[in-house]
Amino acid sequence: MKKRLFAIPSLLAAGFLPINSQAYPAKPTFDGDLGKRKSLFDIFKLDHRYTLAGHSSHSSHSSHSSHRSSTGGYTYVPPAPAPLYSAPSTPAPSYQPPAPTYQESAPAPAPLKVLPGNAYKFKEIVQEVEFALMAFGYYTGEIDGEMSPELRSGLQRMQTDYGLKVTGTITPETLTALRIEAR
Amino acid sequence: MIPLRIKVETNADRPYVVRLRSLEAEAWDSAPTLHPSEAALKHAGPDAADYAGEGGRLRVLGIDPSKVDGDVLLVNPSRGTADRLIRSSSQHNTFLVTERCDQVCLMCSQPPKKHHFDLFPYFETAALLAPEHATIGISGGEPTLFKTELFRFLQRVLEARPDISFHVLTNGQHFDEEDLNALSHIDLGRVVWGIPLYSSDAGVHDEIVGKEGAHAQLLRNLALMCRLGAQIELRTVLMRPNADGLPGLARVIGSTLPFIRTWAVMQMENIGFGRMNWKSLFFDSSEGFELVGRSIDFVRSRGIDAWLYNFPLCTVPPEYRHLAPATISDWKRAYRVECEGCSLKEACGGFFEWHPRDHGYSRLGAVQ
Repeated sequence: MKKRLFAIPSLLAAGFLPINSQAYPAKPTFDGDLGKRKSLFDIFKLDHRYTLAGHSSHSSHSSHSSHRSSTGGYTYVPPAPAPLYSAPSTPAPSYQPPAPTYQESAPAPAPLKVLPGNAYKFKEIVQEVEFALMAFGYYTGEIDGEMSPELRSGLQRMQTDYGLKVTGTITPETLTALRIEAR
Repeated sequence: MIPLRIKVETNADRPYVVRLRSLEAEAWDSAPTLHPSEAALKHAGPDAADYAGEGGRLRVLGIDPSKVDGDVLLVNPSRGTADRLIRSSSQHNTFLVTERCDQVCLMCSQPPKKHHFDLFPYFETAALLAPEHATIGISGGEPTLFKTELFRFLQRVLEARPDISFHVLTNGQHFDEEDLNALSHIDLGRVVWGIPLYSSDAGVHDEIVGKEGAHAQLLRNLALMCRLGAQIELRTVLMRPNADGLPGLARVIGSTLPFIRTWAVMQMENIGFGRMNWKSLFFDSSEGFELVGRSIDFVRSRGIDAWLYNFPLCTVPPEYRHLAPATISDWKRAYRVECEGCSLKEACGGFFEWHPRDHGYSRLGAVQ
């Protein structure tokens, strides 16, 4: 127990925490059951791995994701006319209040699949689809790897003509018909 | 601008949370079983896409399924809209838990409203469906006005998803000795609390936040957060009323708040009250950078991270640019005519979409 209390006075001695510090912790441990509580040492040795969480491409900027302006977003009404938002003058609340008897609040997390980040792979396949549809005369747009309304209708026409299930999506069947291998 | 709300049609009769799965361009045998909260793409046309799942049928209008693949939506059947609570491709997902607030900050970008709907059950479902290693923002209003629900939400999600972390924006007014128990059950290593402190002078701070005694309460609560080992990001919006006091604030941070994790000096956002009060508040940091630089130098010299948020890179002297990450959220970021051909554009957060044309910065323009 002595060792635990030792850490803070030595910080003081080293000049890290001035004695008149307003935020200096008054007590070195929590109130309550000391045995069960974490010591300050335990608290501060926590693995603060927030810095790099989800930031493989920006690891030098710990603050990158941590910035948020208080405009939370989705109930926010932008000043510029943006057709997808509700009009600025609409006083109506954004949501119906949720039903009072909300029971299924937390879904069973068991079959939850964490989604893979396959955006790059997807884009490549879309490019191949664009190229193939262009070759067969169902698409005249850019080979940019972006799904567009034109590409959707091209897919539908191609699927109709070749007797495939008409979905407008890149189905395995469609890939096979176009001789594109997905992996 | 990236739309955060999209048009939908559904046969459901009450709001629900759903994760969209396109499952496009995948090989034959990889058809996965869907989670009860998921819906799979069945059909896509030029204007609309149809999804089906346990929650029923859902038609998404006006946006291609590839743009919303993996997104978590809160569907509101009666309004025919869905809010993209989580955009799977974004690092900037934020849950707005309430629009109520007990402070009225001069430059508030989202002025408070009285009404409040408890959406925590939906947020919990959504957070559990978030992509791997997501950092989710919690904002308001003042989230800790509903701290019982908030703490329970954080505890449950952090337990269920060991890969997720949170960034909570709070005014720090409502923490309390009695919360120590609830907070000790939260994995605080994965929560950063973004707390505003505008000045070392109580009068200046209280004036900015529109609440008497706020400064004193905040310092008490920062001490409490220190005892918990909470990770604190102090946030100081730079404005005319507090700009001169910035070096003084830096000294106070370095000497009495050394436990904080980050100090963020922030430029104003021209929206809400910030727009109304822009003329009297906006501080041209492209001219007066010297005191900003001096302040963050001091804090960094004390071993505390200090950063510049929302500063266009061209307004910051070259030697400080590495401290100005692109912090403006993707969906409200814009570049100006002046940015044309700028060599720093890739690394720059640009401007808020609604930044005024007469931008207020006297020095601005493409960096070659």
